[in-house]
Amino acid sequence: MTGQPILLNSCARAATAAEARFRINRTIAPARATRVVALDEAAATVVRRTAEGQWSNARFFTQAAPAPVAEGKRNVADVVLRSVDGSESWLSDELVAVDAAVMVATANDGAAVASAVGDACTLRGIMTAGLVLAHGQDTRLAVAALRPHARVLLVTEDENDVTEVLTALRA
Amino acid sequence: MLRQELNELLTQTGPGSPMGALFRQYWIPALLAEELPEDDCPPVRVKILSERLIAFRDSDGRYGLIDEFCAHRGASLWFGRNEEGGLRCSYHGWKYDVTGQCLEVPSEPENSNFCSNVKLTAYPLVKVGDILWTYMGDPAKRPGLPEFEFAQVPAEQTFTSKRWQECNWLQALEGGIDSSHVSWLHSGALKTDPLFKGARGNQYNLNDRKPFFEVAEADGGLFVGARRNAEDGTYYWRITPWIMPSFTMVPPRGDHPVHGHFWVPIDDQNCWVYTFDYHPIRPLTEAERQAMMDGFGVHSENIPGTYRPARNKDNDYLMDREAQRRGEHYSGIKGIAIQDASLQESMGPVVDRTKERLVAADSGIIKARQKLRKAAIALRDQGATPPGVDPAHHRVRSAAVVLPREESFLEACRDAVTATPGVPQASV
Repeated sequence: MTGQPILLNSCARAATAAEARFRINRTIAPARATRVVALDEAAATVVRRTAEGQWSNARFFTQAAPAPVAEGKRNVADVVLRSVDGSESWLSDELVAVDAAVMVATANDGAAVASAVGDACTLRGIMTAGLVLAHGQDTRLAVAALRPHARVLLVTEDENDVTEVLTALRA
Repeated sequence: MLRQELNELLTQTGPGSPMGALFRQYWIPALLAEELPEDDCPPVRVKILSERLIAFRDSDGRYGLIDEFCAHRGASLWFGRNEEGGLRCSYHGWKYDVTGQCLEVPSEPENSNFCSNVKLTAYPLVKVGDILWTYMGDPAKRPGLPEFEFAQVPAEQTFTSKRWQECNWLQALEGGIDSSHVSWLHSGALKTDPLFKGARGNQYNLNDRKPFFEVAEADGGLFVGARRNAEDGTYYWRITPWIMPSFTMVPPRGDHPVHGHFWVPIDDQNCWVYTFDYHPIRPLTEAERQAMMDGFGVHSENIPGTYRPARNKDNDYLMDREAQRRGEHYSGIKGIAIQDASLQESMGPVVDRTKERLVAADSGIIKARQKLRKAAIALRDQGATPPGVDPAHHRVRSAAVVLPREESFLEACRDAVTATPGVPQASV
């Protein structure tokens, strides 16, 4: 067996519970900016409920409508988003300095928006995730609509997964 | 990110803990059958789920797993004598059978009934495949025996090894669910390991290091699909099943045997990793079996006479920086199993998940933690039987397939991820 002789103070040996106390205990960086977009009505209900939780840097949108490709700075179709508080904004503005976009779907209705969000995120190097809430329904079409645009796709029966994913991501 | 109390809930498996209660709903590996090779062979100390036990095989071939310590004054029965139908403490001669029942207390009078009132805690120990399995829960709720395919095929088609990993079981398991590290940490092995190399799928792995992931519920746990670009109009899918609490299978490569792991907590800072390779329809070749024994594939080369890897934290896993530079091993450490172990052990005995920064690609891990937490709480609060207890949930396989882009991996691979006797694995 080859390899260098190892000194007793090598760092692998330091991986003990006692040594773990000496890991640098620095405050974790601020929460990651996350945008959550419902792609259909049933998903909007879930997103509204999720938005009631305590979030550091997440914004929630219950309606999204693709807009035609605009003149000037926008080079992919933009999307008009309606927030849980009713205010409207452009997707392209909402994605400024964002880390992740999470799309929530229960049906196939949001294919066009998913495509627009996916394209906009790809352009900006933003991670995309999709959650398809099955609720005992056939989700094949919803999954197929999201698949090309979500780098991670979670198909689940449990709407709490939206909260779980956002919490794990420090949203 | 997990709150501290959730991290503790998921990582602590001793008696009385919610996750310990969850593990005690399942048949879990206790030791390899090779550790008790013959009747009246030496007993073996076994520590699992923070309980110290002793395993032995009596004169009639019956397996026993009982409290390690004599009921008299607490001496270890590992020093005992396994003979004439029981294990006798070498201190004062108290003798126990495989059910923990005390058979003799030599100091008592001839017709004394004293020993009938002495019984050590005992758990069933049953051989299925290469493994001796135990069930440490309520006898009234004991489920059917394990039906994992690797333990069901004929002996010449399967091989199981075991290694000690010096960290909590959960961070080891999470490595088995996390498919995205393969293109990095194990990239060297895809080209050289005799149990991996040559498969068409390897090139897809190496060509596309940013896979997309899909996570879907299964009856017993999850299916995690990782897709990479393949030829025009197709995706290469690698599908990993996780069956609760701690069984995973690695997607296969070509006609190489299929492999996977079972992680069993020793205590909260150590676990056993049982690693298997099997082929569903043919015997393993001599070369394959030898490669497994030599520590290739997902197995480890252990210190002779032990289950401790030869490359371990005491020797920095024999890190070879030259091999790292040459691209032979991405991390400079030889062997897939030890590549994983080196990093998972470096996280500390129990990784502090309040400090982690998960990304969306970790969704499989996020979902697995949620399922474990929910199952443990449902068991504690409602007595609900968790997923994966039913032996029907064990009949799964991993798969590696190329599919048209529009196809759903689970719909297209429903048969491929179901263990069917006599049917080969779906693999490219």
